[in-house]
Amino acid sequence: MDTSIIKLRSDLKPGFLTHPYVLAGLVPACFFLVFYFYPLSGIFYKSFFGTGKFDPVFLLKGIFSVRMGRVVWFTFWQAAVSTLLTLACALPCSLVLSCYRFPGKGFIKIMASIPFVLPAVVVAAAFQACFGENSLFFAFRVKNPIVLIFMAHVFYNFSVMLRIITGFWSSLQGRITEAARILGAGPFRVFIHITLPLLKPAILASSALVFIFCFSSFGIIMILGGPLISTIEVEIYRQAAHLFNLPLASFLSLIQISITFALMWVYTSFAGRAARFTPDAEQINLKKPVLLWEKIVIAGTIVFIAVLCIMPLAALVIQSFSLDGKFSLVFYKALFVNASDSIFYVPPFNAVKFSVLFAGAALVIALVTGLCAALFIRFCDRSVRAGWASLFDPVFMLPLSTSAVTLGFGIIITLDKPPLDLRTSIFLVPVAHALVGFPFVVRAVLPALRAIPDNMADAAAMLGASPLKIFKTIDLPLISRALAAGAVFAFTISLGEFGATIFTARPGTETIPIAIYRFLGQPGEMNHGQAMAISSLLMLVTALGFVVIEKFRKESSEGF
Amino acid sequence: MKNELVLDHVTRVFEDGSLALKDLCLNLPEGTKLSVLGPSGSGKTTLLRLIAGLETPDSGRIIFDGMVMNAYPPHKRGFGLMFQEFALFPHMNVRENIGFGLRMKGVAESELKLRVDHMLALTGLEGFGNRSIDELSGGERQRVALARTLAPNPRLLMLDEPLSSLDRVLRKRLLKEIAKIIAELGITTIFVTHDHEEAFAAGNMVIIMNHGKIVGKGSSPEELAASCPGSWIRDFLGI
Repeated sequence: MDTSIIKLRSDLKPGFLTHPYVLAGLVPACFFLVFYFYPLSGIFYKSFFGTGKFDPVFLLKGIFSVRMGRVVWFTFWQAAVSTLLTLACALPCSLVLSCYRFPGKGFIKIMASIPFVLPAVVVAAAFQACFGENSLFFAFRVKNPIVLIFMAHVFYNFSVMLRIITGFWSSLQGRITEAARILGAGPFRVFIHITLPLLKPAILASSALVFIFCFSSFGIIMILGGPLISTIEVEIYRQAAHLFNLPLASFLSLIQISITFALMWVYTSFAGRAARFTPDAEQINLKKPVLLWEKIVIAGTIVFIAVLCIMPLAALVIQSFSLDGKFSLVFYKALFVNASDSIFYVPPFNAVKFSVLFAGAALVIALVTGLCAALFIRFCDRSVRAGWASLFDPVFMLPLSTSAVTLGFGIIITLDKPPLDLRTSIFLVPVAHALVGFPFVVRAVLPALRAIPDNMADAAAMLGASPLKIFKTIDLPLISRALAAGAVFAFTISLGEFGATIFTARPGTETIPIAIYRFLGQPGEMNHGQAMAISSLLMLVTALGFVVIEKFRKESSEGF
Repeated sequence: MKNELVLDHVTRVFEDGSLALKDLCLNLPEGTKLSVLGPSGSGKTTLLRLIAGLETPDSGRIIFDGMVMNAYPPHKRGFGLMFQEFALFPHMNVRENIGFGLRMKGVAESELKLRVDHMLALTGLEGFGNRSIDELSGGERQRVALARTLAPNPRLLMLDEPLSSLDRVLRKRLLKEIAKIIAELGITTIFVTHDHEEAFAAGNMVIIMNHGKIVGKGSSPEELAASCPGSWIRDFLGI
């Protein structure tokens, strides 16, 4: 027997780099390179060399103006106040939901989640319906646009905070607090010494997340704030689209990116600490309300959540059906009529057509790239290249922490000239939407892939299945529900996307959110009514999508 | 020799640099019924995974039927491996699980049905074909796993502690059945276990492994103990 030894190092073992799941990683990698990193580099270049040469004086003049100072200050200030107000609403509700069990709790939780999944334009339209000039109830009218923005932000983010804090707080209602009680601590001291310290990371994490959302809020401020109110996000759009000051818009984008990345880092570290504290879920032991005051508190919470979450949406639907105080379908019928020749006018039926078309295309792109990314990360996970997984996983989440406005702006300033001139391409909108939806697809699919035991693929291989066959016969059927959830995510996100669309949609291919924005910006009852009607439809579709996703998700998973 | 398995100075290094298998040599002519004994962490499972092709040796050669198999992908080797936790496919019923290997081979549907019926009969699972996996007891799962492994007629059969997840009574009964089925097959069989009763019941040759090396060899407990210096093996075998 020849005893010469063949040297084979396992990490260079033939097959790793050519394994289909590793090759699949090339798909999202190329997608990111062209549609994320290239536009981002364009923003970087434009901010410093936008005038043709490096011109720091021009840049500094733009930045250190009174207007910019006001914009930056207002962005931080409104985000901070919105976050505190949201916390003030969510914390008491969370206390009730996480301590008691009562009939209808699941329904309340789902109802409280609806606002968060709605597109920003729909939320803005609902608040105009409920509290704006055309409000049905004169007493509800809110004159100050800043107050209106705060209210909309609370409405929008209440559910995120409620979900995170309640999920965490419920898990504390078990052995931990029981142990403290037995050791002699009264309910109040349990709260101060046990619950609050354990809950702090969850409160901080959810606050950081809500702060990020309010910081980069775009649609709500554009619609409810009017022309005088501007945040960094809105200013990027105004500088770019109205004043054509691309270098300043780019520089604002850079500021926006740096701040959101820093905030995202803060959020991740809080969330990591919160996750470390999470006790076993099986120990949860919730009380049933017995005393009268307990029942009153619970009833009050239900009413509060119902009013907060339902009232603006109900006002939206009511206004879409009422003309001069009477029931009417005129606004819905008008959606099929091409009424005006104004260049700002978007024929509603056209908008629906393009929205569905773009959402379908975005779904396909996001699903394919997201699935490839998840397969790639999962494969690296369990191979010698585990380090690659922890490198690429956060990279693939980057679009989440980049505002949609920045994404859209980056795309139009870089992909409008060779080597890649897609200015006239109809694909720009779906690509931007797919970029926004991509992280959600990965987040939906990856846990399902990770839940497949390692030995499934090995067993299939031993029975003669090639890697591609394993994908088709084992992995794909086992993740089909998660994949469906990811698809619904990608579709509904695309339908409601506003920030990136306002940059990338060409005249004639506007989507539903753009149409709503235009209708709300025009005076007159007809415009207002049509905005209400089309918003109601969009709300219905998005809420349905959310219900479908919830159905696909495993019931056990709590939290965000 | 035809269908002979040769391990030629096979070494496998763990990621942390420690050795899972050290310079292992083994020669199994066709039809050998080998049992591999050893404490946990001795390299038994790694040995199976290397032969199966699920891992690649860092040095040395694995030869089957005169062919170096080192970089040959597992799905083309035509070997059968029964997993410790059975690894049944949760989204397929019993029949689909057993027929999976045949389907991968491209066996015609009519022939596939006959073969699966035969496997169901062989493992005492008549009437279970349309059950879903989560309706099965531990013992029934074990039988499905065995039937699934045997269905495509593997050139080499490996069983990785196939009884370890079952309770004592069931273990004894199924051991007899497995030993009988193995004895009737003409193919080489490698049975990995940490239980010496199982080892001698399932194989006519037993090797014992420790720290990634073969430290003893024999066809009876006494022979095995005599082949290995030191007293720990007597403690391990309980004689």
